[in-house]
Amino acid sequence: MVPQPQLRPRAARILVVEDEALIRVLIAEELRLEGFSVIEADRADDALTYIKAGEQVDLVFSDIRTPGSLNGLQLAEAFREKYPDIPVILTSGNALPRHVGILGAFVSKPYDVTQTIALMSSILAQKSPGEPL
Amino acid sequence: MSDPCILIVEQDLLVRTPLAEYLRECGYLVLEASSAGDARALLEDGSRRIDIVLAEVKSGEPSGFALASWVRTHLPNTQIVLAGTIATATEKAGDICQEGPALSKPYDHRLVLDHIQRLLAARDRNDRT
Repeated sequence: MVPQPQLRPRAARILVVEDEALIRVLIAEELRLEGFSVIEADRADDALTYIKAGEQVDLVFSDIRTPGSLNGLQLAEAFREKYPDIPVILTSGNALPRHVGILGAFVSKPYDVTQTIALMSSILAQKSPGEPL
Repeated sequence: MSDPCILIVEQDLLVRTPLAEYLRECGYLVLEASSAGDARALLEDGSRRIDIVLAEVKSGEPSGFALASWVRTHLPNTQIVLAGTIATATEKAGDICQEGPALSKPYDHRLVLDHIQRLLAARDRNDRT
């Protein structure tokens, strides 16, 4: 029997939206070390442009306060409306906005990177149990 | 020795991301900044040794030129490559950068990689002498 090449599973793609470069780089580096593919955006507008360009992501992790015309909540609303299969996790140093629950999970800042990555992994596992991402 | 670290400074996410992913596939540690200001924050942070800064000439305020001047003054061991679409801008970039010529946009990923490899090889040769 001829051995068949095994398909390498695609790494889950996480879109991180954070305007503080040092925070963004820190979480992005840790995610890459965990084997995720990471797209870094500093504005919610850029994140939406990226998706509209046809690029694929599996999860969005966004700060609520972002510069530009869209904030993280509006980005989450846009995803809920147009890309409901892509889970969104929001983060902020401020109090949890009342309606954030229907838009996605919420992580308070400053966040524990390990716990945040565990949350992302668990949400991705629920999204497609048993399937390589 | 750790993987060489490249900092890409580029406003356009759709330009920056594919280049960053390509260079990561080539084995480099790649940091991303969307502005010269963010790039400077990463450079000043000092927690990582950044070997090469690849910056767009027009990277907001401060400009890529200002970032290049700052890098040359404060981080003499970090090399800078400026990229732009305007011929005069790339000529000026060549004057500022240690190792001309500067790169033209749109980026040809293979050319960027060649340029980075040449800069790192030249630096390693200098370190040995």
